[in-house]
Amino acid sequence: MQFPSSTSYALNYLIVFSVVCSGCIEARRTTLEPMSELVSTEIDSGLNDLPSAPSVPPGSTALRRLTRTQYEQSLKSVFGETVVVPKVSEPDIPEAGLFSVGASSTSYSPRGIASLEEAAYAVAQQVVSTDELKSRAIPCDLETESTETRVSCINDIMALNGLRLWRRPLKEDELGRLVSLANQATEVLNDPWQGVSFGLAAMMQSPNFLYRLELAPSQVSADGERFDPYALATRLSFFLWNHSPDDELLEAADSGILDTQEGLKAQAERLMASPQFKFGLEQFFIEKLKLYELDTLRKDPLQFDHYSPELMREAREETLRLIDYYVLERDSDLRELMTSREHFLTPRLAALYGVPAPVQDGFRRVTLPEESPRLGLLSHASLLSINAHPAASSATLRGRFVRTVLLCQEIPPPPPGVDTAIPEASGNTRTLRDRVAEHLTNPSCAGCHKLLDPIGLALENYDAIGRWRERDNGALIDASGELDGVSYEDPQSLSQVVREHPEFTSCLVKSVAQYATGRLITDEEAPLLQDLNTRFERLEFRLKPLFLELVLSPLFYNAGAPK
Amino acid sequence: MIKLCPRSSMDSSSFRHKSRFSRRSALRGILGGSAITVGLPWLESIAPRGLKGQALSEARAQLSNSPKRFAMFFWGNGCQPDRWLPNGDGEAWMPSPLLEPLAHLRNEIAVISGMEVKVGNIEAHISGPAGFFTGKQAIVKGGGGWTFQGPTIDQQVAALIGGETLYRSLEVGAEPNMRGMSMNGPDSHNTPESDPIALYERLFGATFREPGEGMVDPKLALRQSALDAVMEDMHSLKSRLGNHDKARLDQHLTAVRDLELRLARLQETPILREACIKPERPSEVSLVEGRVQLEARAQVMADLSAIALACDLTRVLSFWYCDPLSNLLHPNTNSGHHQLTHDEPGDQPQVTEIIMSAQRSLAYFIERLRSIPEGEGTLLDQCALLATTDVSEGKTHQIDEYPILLAGQAGGALKMGHHYRSTTKENTSHLALSVVRALGIPASSYGEDEAFVESGLSAVEA
Repeated sequence: MQFPSSTSYALNYLIVFSVVCSGCIEARRTTLEPMSELVSTEIDSGLNDLPSAPSVPPGSTALRRLTRTQYEQSLKSVFGETVVVPKVSEPDIPEAGLFSVGASSTSYSPRGIASLEEAAYAVAQQVVSTDELKSRAIPCDLETESTETRVSCINDIMALNGLRLWRRPLKEDELGRLVSLANQATEVLNDPWQGVSFGLAAMMQSPNFLYRLELAPSQVSADGERFDPYALATRLSFFLWNHSPDDELLEAADSGILDTQEGLKAQAERLMASPQFKFGLEQFFIEKLKLYELDTLRKDPLQFDHYSPELMREAREETLRLIDYYVLERDSDLRELMTSREHFLTPRLAALYGVPAPVQDGFRRVTLPEESPRLGLLSHASLLSINAHPAASSATLRGRFVRTVLLCQEIPPPPPGVDTAIPEASGNTRTLRDRVAEHLTNPSCAGCHKLLDPIGLALENYDAIGRWRERDNGALIDASGELDGVSYEDPQSLSQVVREHPEFTSCLVKSVAQYATGRLITDEEAPLLQDLNTRFERLEFRLKPLFLELVLSPLFYNAGAPK
Repeated sequence: MIKLCPRSSMDSSSFRHKSRFSRRSALRGILGGSAITVGLPWLESIAPRGLKGQALSEARAQLSNSPKRFAMFFWGNGCQPDRWLPNGDGEAWMPSPLLEPLAHLRNEIAVISGMEVKVGNIEAHISGPAGFFTGKQAIVKGGGGWTFQGPTIDQQVAALIGGETLYRSLEVGAEPNMRGMSMNGPDSHNTPESDPIALYERLFGATFREPGEGMVDPKLALRQSALDAVMEDMHSLKSRLGNHDKARLDQHLTAVRDLELRLARLQETPILREACIKPERPSEVSLVEGRVQLEARAQVMADLSAIALACDLTRVLSFWYCDPLSNLLHPNTNSGHHQLTHDEPGDQPQVTEIIMSAQRSLAYFIERLRSIPEGEGTLLDQCALLATTDVSEGKTHQIDEYPILLAGQAGGALKMGHHYRSTTKENTSHLALSVVRALGIPASSYGEDEAFVESGLSAVEA
């Protein structure tokens, strides 16, 4: 990437930038919440005895479209938390189960572009008409009488906000285009604030904002070359915060700090120590576990008294709170998630789970007793509801979730031309196990359903919204079975088996790597994943140190060829 | 009463930068992955920008008072062939139980049965539409992900006949938060608008001006200038990208050009057609017993869609009733739609009821189009409406015995009022090619490999 870092323009920009650094940014930092509650431990890797990561050619990198959340959160991080960002009509499409990976393939549609334009003007209008937002975005006196001073102010505004929005300094011609647009709008509308708002709106519609361009300085890095520092700063920030870099990180890119592993590590540690890390961490699990589905998931209220859209929202938060607890507060072995007796409950969730409400309103952490069937993530209403039908549980969907999401195993699609109907509950076929027996005896179904249904049947004690039941249609539920050679008796022991499954942790490593890099990991890069697996194990399966190891892995900092 | 966009009005703002992107390059971008092939002279004759003299007057002549429209109606999770297949061929056909909701429209529709999508059924619910709508196999990705290799038929057609209107195409949906299957090319989705109020606002909100009403907003031209700056950014970015990303950026660029063209049109004096009456703002359709009232939503969307076509806001409209794999809980059913197609035992009466609701919604849409007068006849007469689903039968995922329905005669180009029974599992591409040609597009072929055809289905051609 070529930036005019030695030109007089860059000096000009640096002056603007440093002025801002001593002013607005400091002011913003003081508004952040104290972080002591969430972040308890320093990251210590202590893995220096391990051999360094093997050298392999990196997979090619594509432009990464901002996801909808990243778009919203980036505009908030650039302009201020209070800015209202209208919803953009360009849905995220998952690939390999992750929006983050899908974002390296998707483009923008006419409808999406129209909604982005609308959003850009709505945001720009707020920025030029709200004192609080102005103080951060406007570093100079725009209402000056002197045309010359005004033009130079417009220039500074475009350079400063351009740096933040595009996550790199603007090139001369880029800045020129924006300044001339702002000047033109100022003249036509006879209002410099309107002029600036047009310039800002254009910046927000630019591909330089809407995509992350991840390249090496030379642009041809078939053998692996470190990313351009601004690209690396952006990668780091979106991975750990799910939004644009802050000014300090951009400064680190500018100063060359990120060109060293020590500098990269220091910034990664800083980002993970910030309260905003919570949002980056949660976003990974929102995508991985498809928790976003709970926003629109509907269940049959005629069959489930406990169901409400609020219950689904609380179920989503329950899962995220448990993850935050183990990763941020306790920094413990992530496998604890599978077998946790700790639960974050609201009165609604407590009622669903059949335990006393721990609190009148909101969430509280409770430790459920040994005899409670609620154990870990697989007993969460969130995952049990997502992996079920609107009115019935599903052994196939739940089995597929464990296989493909938790263990990263591939299951082929069903063959065409097979009658898939299962018998209604009646006579001796009352439980789902009896009813799906057909899947397991018919040879064209059994190949895959044998992999799926037994796992899902172990969760049959939970109905389609996660309520416990002993019986289905009056018959006792048999939840026993076997997963890859290890048998279990009930949902609790299934959770134990998944926890100890060797592919559970390697699947997580793979997903984190795909999430952070926004692409599939190539076969050639498998040794790098293996290296991370080794490190994860040595780190006692703690996720925060794994994130740091990933950042310091060539998988993260080395650029591939442009895709 | 025609809308044309002569070059002079595009450049009315003296301060605008000249964009370095031509409409032709955008067209090429769209047609790049298209399954239809069209001769270049025809392409040039329909491209209005940059046309002069003789070519321009020919183009104007082609845009008659009553342009042809393409509409699609799609429902997900398939059909029940036994209950859908009409009794009898030709004009003597008798509606089957599932076609009963369309019986009163029997002279306005054509039923086509027995055809097959010839791309190989590698991904349930996806290969069928991929093959039928793009003429090519789907691209299957890990984790249930999919995309198409090229633009779907609505976008192939829109690239050629959609250039004169405010919207090159519109995608509307009845099911909340749906994805639809209208694609510009790989990984570029045109997600349907499925919120009735949002659709109303988009079509008939602030941008809708009646003649003599209001001044041209000076911000419109400035917004065009902003887009010019954006396109300059895209141009310099493109030079640094690999081929995969260049293609993505081309899709994006086409969308920006679309918006720019719309901003230009909004500065012209609007020409309203007689039948274009601004509709009332719709009200929300509430859930009943936790169930989306899909048919009621579809009616609101059909009302808005028909008026959008009557107002010539677009000439290409796809209507998505429910998605492939949709597991929506419908009224009077006790399980999700997709689950029912697999798990409901016996004759699957609940599935039948959902398919019936889709057919009733289709009938309502056709009635709406028929109720709007245009020229000597009705709006429906000028439409080619193609209705179908993703698999023949949800339970088995098959893509032979594909259920297809046509409505409207595309200005006399399509033959209605009959049932065509294919006894040799003919390629659905033949039908697609007939529809494309009926719209006045001299396409020479449709599809590729097994799905490739050079001839239409003469039985449906008038």
